Amino acid sequence: MALHPITGSASSPGSGIFPTLVFVQGNEQRTLNLDHTPFTVGRKVDKDLVIADPRVSRDHALIAAENGEFFVIDQGSKHGTFVNGERIQRKNLERNDRVEFGVRDVSYVIFHPHHATSNTAREFLSQISGIHISTETTDLEKLTLFLEAARKLNTTGVLDEILVTLLEATLKLTRAERGYVFMKGEDGNLRLAAGRNSKGEPLLDDKTMSHSILEDALKSNSEFVLTDTSRSLDLAGRHSIVAYDLRTVICIPLRKPQVQATRGEGAPAPAQNSGEVMGALYVDSRFASRDISSVSNDILRAIATEAASLIENARLVQAEEAARRYQQELSIAASIQQGLMAVAIPDVPFAHVKGRNLSCKEIGGDFFDAVITEHGLAVVLADVSGKGVSAALLANTLQGMIYSQLAAGMPLTEIVTAANRFFTHKHIGEKYATMIIARIQRDGELEYVNCGHVPPLLVCNREVIRPRHGNLPVGLLPDATYESDHYNLHPGDRLILVTDGVTEAENARGDFFEDHRLEAVAAKGASMEGIFAAVADFCGGNPLNDDCTVVELAYTG
Amino acid sequence: MNLKIEQHQVDGVPVISPRGRIMFGDEANTLRDTLKEILNSSPRIVLNLSEVTYMDSGGLGTLVGVYSSARAKGADIKLTGLGHRIRDVLQTTKLATVFQVYESEEQAVAALRAGAA
Repeated sequence: MALHPITGSASSPGSGIFPTLVFVQGNEQRTLNLDHTPFTVGRKVDKDLVIADPRVSRDHALIAAENGEFFVIDQGSKHGTFVNGERIQRKNLERNDRVEFGVRDVSYVIFHPHHATSNTAREFLSQISGIHISTETTDLEKLTLFLEAARKLNTTGVLDEILVTLLEATLKLTRAERGYVFMKGEDGNLRLAAGRNSKGEPLLDDKTMSHSILEDALKSNSEFVLTDTSRSLDLAGRHSIVAYDLRTVICIPLRKPQVQATRGEGAPAPAQNSGEVMGALYVDSRFASRDISSVSNDILRAIATEAASLIENARLVQAEEAARRYQQELSIAASIQQGLMAVAIPDVPFAHVKGRNLSCKEIGGDFFDAVITEHGLAVVLADVSGKGVSAALLANTLQGMIYSQLAAGMPLTEIVTAANRFFTHKHIGEKYATMIIARIQRDGELEYVNCGHVPPLLVCNREVIRPRHGNLPVGLLPDATYESDHYNLHPGDRLILVTDGVTEAENARGDFFEDHRLEAVAAKGASMEGIFAAVADFCGGNPLNDDCTVVELAYTG
Repeated sequence: MNLKIEQHQVDGVPVISPRGRIMFGDEANTLRDTLKEILNSSPRIVLNLSEVTYMDSGGLGTLVGVYSSARAKGADIKLTGLGHRIRDVLQTTKLATVFQVYESEEQAVAALRAGAA
């Protein structure tokens, strides 16, 4: 999938025609079009970029154009103008150069020659093709690699692939030995998302890398942290660097691109870099291997800015896709379930049947049915384990099987034995169903088979009987055997069947409705409607965890 | 996810203690994967369910599935620490007769060791 469906999540909008300056001050960031030159910078209010800080001179610097190139020229400022940390009088600007005016670190400007930070892989491609790389022999190779990576990125939408592609590109560009991408999980902890060595082989173990440098990089405000252990003195306690002979470690925090540019200078914000950290890109090399400490800052900076917006976009696309699938699945399940619940209650002179289902948000696998057979009226209530389309489909199959066998006059125990054989033979895995099939004859003779279901309630003269008879659920164990139970009903007696969504309905305190409440309601003579009312009353506003289905069979004689 | 899985050893037998809710979805999948992995290296384990606050039908199905596939491969899982709710579920579904349930970890471990000898 391509990345272009996502629009409007720009990290920094720009016209795309004029070069832009991204002005970062504390947590704020805004994009300025370089639509005229000279472009003036200073503390005076008439400047094109006004920085209200005493360390910025009134007429601090200006940006001028010459032969298609842009130059920053210091205007004799007291605290100096810096490009990439170096104090300058006049310097031509290159892509992603960081320009600071008197104030170091708190506010700075990033120069973009053509347009603002890209959102799509296509823009990424065009943007990185403009990266200035010094004139070493490997540069062409580097550029080709980046182009290749970007082209790949344009055709893949899966986050994992983006991460691996990014990693491979970074490894080749930096010529590091190995690299890892870490992504922040919902719990805020970094987890390893991808690892590769320079041969492209997956690395699953991150134990031998320097986690302390990774953590430092995440805490820092920098776009990247390059640690050359041969030059750094402060490595006491950094176990892995010593133990694994690490020479150079490059760590790039991946920060969420800022969605909008903020207007106005406002109060001085704390000195923090923008965007929340989404993860980190880490590469290293050992002493025994090649030295990567001289890798170009341009490349690292480009990777830092582009990688973050790519990952963010990939995540958005992925989240949107997941939400769409979920909705689709939900509506499929809902339509299957509507079919399951569209039960035509048969009319018989000696009994009444009522049944109703309350669905929770995720469609479950409850169904009921009522079928006239040559031996009387049969009712079925089943609860297929699990939720969603798979549960609804299984319920659909089960309903069909049971219906046809009931209509054919098969004994109840044979029906459930056949259903069990079918499900375990088909290796439905860990999907199974609990159910009750009950059949009442004209003379009040009730036969029922309980397969691991909530025991039925027999209400005779306000006395509630919970027969404990039962069998294993259908679909769990292939060699299960089933037996039925019998009762003689008198006119006015009722059989109430419920699914565990009823007994396990939960209130805000975490209490369940449970059997004793159900029995108490039934003992008061409550009908199906009365039971639903009692459950609703018990739950308060608490949403249902599971489908609730109640079937009531009243014998009238 | 509302499930954490802890593990310790009693007399060299792994005792696995899930804590929280075993529900259809992530929790049940995690439990299945964890148990299968442990069973690969140690075919005899004890599952202590005393810290399981709730188990829905999907969780129960997972437990039965892991249990029966373990038995089919000659492995063995003994249960212990069943609270009244899980006891009720096993009673309702008649699965109490399928699982081998013990009063304590020590008894379950002893039964496994006796079986292994």
